Amino acid sequence: MTSAVEFQNVSRHFGQVKAVDGVDLTIAEGSFFAMLGPSGSGKTTCLRLISGFEKPTNGQIRIFGEDVSNTPPHLRNVNTVFQDYALFPHLNVRDNVAYGLMVKGVARGQRHAKAEEMLALVKLDGYGDRKPAQLSGGQRQRVALARALVNEPRVLLLDEPLGALDLKLREAMQDELKALQHRLGLTFVFVTHDQHEALSMADHLAVFNEGRIAQIGTPQDIYDRPATRFVADFVGSSNVLPPALTRAFGGPEQWASLRPEITRLAAAGPVTGTVTALRYLGSGTRVVIRTGETEIAALVPSGQPVPAEGTTTAIAFDPQALHLMGET
Amino acid sequence: MPMTTSAILPAKGSADRLTGTFWRRPNLLLLLLVTPPLLWLGVVYLGSLAALLLQSFYSIDEFSGVVKEEFTLKTYAELFRAQNLDIILRTVVMAAAVTLTCAILAFPIAYYAARFAKGHWKAAFYLGVMLPLWSSYLVKVYAWKLILAKEGVLTWAADGTGTGFVIEGLLSVPGLEGSSLSTSPFGTFLVFVYIWLPYMILPMQAALERVPTSMLEASADLGATRRQTFRTVILPLAMPGVIAGSIFTFSLTLGDYIIPQIVGNSARFIGLTVYQLQGTAGNIPLAAAFAVVPIIIMLIYLTLAKRAGAFDAL
Amino acid sequence: MRSDARNDGPSLLLKITAIGGLLFLHLPILFIFLYAFTTEERTYQFPPPGLTTKWFAVAWNRPDIWPPLFLSIKVAAIATVMAMILGTLAAAAMSRARFFGRDQLSLLIILPIALPGVITGMSLRSAFGIMDIPFSTWTIVLGHATFCIVIVYNNAVARMRRLSGGIMEASADLGANSFQTFRYILMPNLGSALLAGGMLAFALSFDEVIVTTFTAGQQSTLPIWMLNELVRPRQRPVTNVVAIVVFAATFVPILIAYYLTRGGSETAGMGK
Repeated sequence: MTSAVEFQNVSRHFGQVKAVDGVDLTIAEGSFFAMLGPSGSGKTTCLRLISGFEKPTNGQIRIFGEDVSNTPPHLRNVNTVFQDYALFPHLNVRDNVAYGLMVKGVARGQRHAKAEEMLALVKLDGYGDRKPAQLSGGQRQRVALARALVNEPRVLLLDEPLGALDLKLREAMQDELKALQHRLGLTFVFVTHDQHEALSMADHLAVFNEGRIAQIGTPQDIYDRPATRFVADFVGSSNVLPPALTRAFGGPEQWASLRPEITRLAAAGPVTGTVTALRYLGSGTRVVIRTGETEIAALVPSGQPVPAEGTTTAIAFDPQALHLMGET
Repeated sequence: MPMTTSAILPAKGSADRLTGTFWRRPNLLLLLLVTPPLLWLGVVYLGSLAALLLQSFYSIDEFSGVVKEEFTLKTYAELFRAQNLDIILRTVVMAAAVTLTCAILAFPIAYYAARFAKGHWKAAFYLGVMLPLWSSYLVKVYAWKLILAKEGVLTWAADGTGTGFVIEGLLSVPGLEGSSLSTSPFGTFLVFVYIWLPYMILPMQAALERVPTSMLEASADLGATRRQTFRTVILPLAMPGVIAGSIFTFSLTLGDYIIPQIVGNSARFIGLTVYQLQGTAGNIPLAAAFAVVPIIIMLIYLTLAKRAGAFDAL
Repeated sequence: MRSDARNDGPSLLLKITAIGGLLFLHLPILFIFLYAFTTEERTYQFPPPGLTTKWFAVAWNRPDIWPPLFLSIKVAAIATVMAMILGTLAAAAMSRARFFGRDQLSLLIILPIALPGVITGMSLRSAFGIMDIPFSTWTIVLGHATFCIVIVYNNAVARMRRLSGGIMEASADLGANSFQTFRYILMPNLGSALLAGGMLAFALSFDEVIVTTFTAGQQSTLPIWMLNELVRPRQRPVTNVVAIVVFAATFVPILIAYYLTRGGSETAGMGK
């Protein structure tokens, strides 16, 4: 498979600030790739490096094998769905969508037909005559999507496209985007700070921390085998054990992650703690046990006894299930 | 969707290539944009200011009236003559009085417009301040010459209401004497206030609009009376606006030479002196030295204002 | 009685002073109109002893009014065009990322109106003197364009601040080169603000007298003509007729500028 986007030791420094610092990255053609990280971690700068709005201080970027060091944004066949949509306020929806074709010199009738086609694709047929200001947030998001797709880009970049939508709409759009990507077979590069969004939508993702990639892999890799304590913390849901606790459980003195599903409660074990919270999840109960400074969650399957809040319980599991990792 | 196009499109024509050049060298575009205005302001304006400074270090030959193009501080020394110090002092006092009065008169208008005017009223207030600010300066001054004239509206109105003694009283105050308000220094002051008032209202309103209503409510919740809220919350927050406005009223009064020429007792102010020295008297070096005085006063004023954060309200 | 600050609604005193202040700003202008119709031509007698419309015809036939009017229009037109070009360029430069000398440039743009007009005038006069430049239309234009730049600049900068910065990038992202972005995105969104700036610059230049007296020499613009009439009045109502013309020539562009920039605050807070 060809790589759609390739970063070779790419850095982007703003004075002293290393927004992106020595990133190596390969995004396969046709993949739905997420860049996940807290704000300021460099993910958006990476996206802007692909679109050409930032230039690398160091390193090389290739799009479909071609070095784009000398290619300005308007000559890159890559389009972006901007975070605030950046729709043109003076143009109606149809002309917004047709803009990319207009600047290429496509005749009016032809580009309008194509724009309508794109509007239909994002289920906005009949909205062509409206101005962006007359649309809801979700509709604007769709217009931005249609506008970015009209040029048939080789890569579609999405900068937190769902951030401004409410929860329900966001979930619906997640499914739609995924379906759309599947149908078009396009390479999507998606920036988000929402780990659930990244894990559920992407087939590959990179977790960013302080301008570097902390881990890159499939959602399963990231979730089950976080490479560093940062990834485990940021992606959440796994228990993060400090070195001393790992050792107490029978592992080496190293940071480790432990999935709640394989954490078992027992009458006796190497580590004991107090039950501080219980949450019934349907398929089981999530029990939070406090031991020293650390909280460990365990998932007790339905039908098994659940300890009461405030009681003391021991934790036990196969030390083989511990996933060891670096600190950062 | 067919994937036939390349990831990189070819540059078609010089517009594409030039765009690429601008992208590769963003400073080139910046340089192209900034050079014409910078050149204009740098050469025409700063160049002229330099010429002004240069002239002020020249002197005039007292017998021939010809400008001697030699460096001297003689011209500046002339500023310290009693009559010239008088002019400077009179101007600064006038500017300060005008600024203070404008601030007091502007406050209710700015406060009302910022806090209470809504919708159409807000637009009306805004336009109501904007129009007098921008409309013809000379016409506005002229209007006051009509109003203040001895046979004019004000005298007529005062006679009609039996309040003529107020004007009489004003005109008998030492320093404000005149046959009518249009020849009294008080008339000059009145017109200055009228002309520069909008320059005080707008920045003040802008500053007051930044006072969140919630802050006033918080103050009321804490048991402050209206007066306390006004003194401890509104006034300090309006201060940057007042200072920004005062830069205009102060500076504009310092340099004006039309108003004292048309309304008042022909007492000399800095602006009028500069005008007369460069014109009829032909003493350009002294005129230039006089013109430097407001610059120095304003620089001091601006430095103080900047320290008070006034520029955020502009 | 104490009243609660939340107990909204302005007090009567505030209402009266605010409305009174606005009336104070507007009423004087009305007398200019009234006196254009008075039959008394030697004094400012009030109320006018009689009313007539003859002064409009008299003004029309006064040959000394037309050349200053044409000179004022010419100067204002040229100064406006130059200010629009230079002000827009400066605003475009300022809207780009921070650069060395940015603050100094913004100070330089504001300086001509922050310092009293007499300084600008006297400075130009000194420079013309030192360089032996004879007074001409162009010496007037030089001064006017300098203080008009900031008017256009302020309007353009305010509008650019209001525009979503993303739309320029979005345009490039969709394949537009810089010239296409300028034509299809920047101009349609900036145009009305520039036009408003141009209107205000025209009004300002047409009416300007403080700097002009220093840069005009023996030439006479309409405001200079008016100033002479004010100092040495002849047919006073004729001056009022001209004053109405000058007032209209500033009033109309201001109104247009206001409607062009409604919703923003481009024209606020900046003066002459």
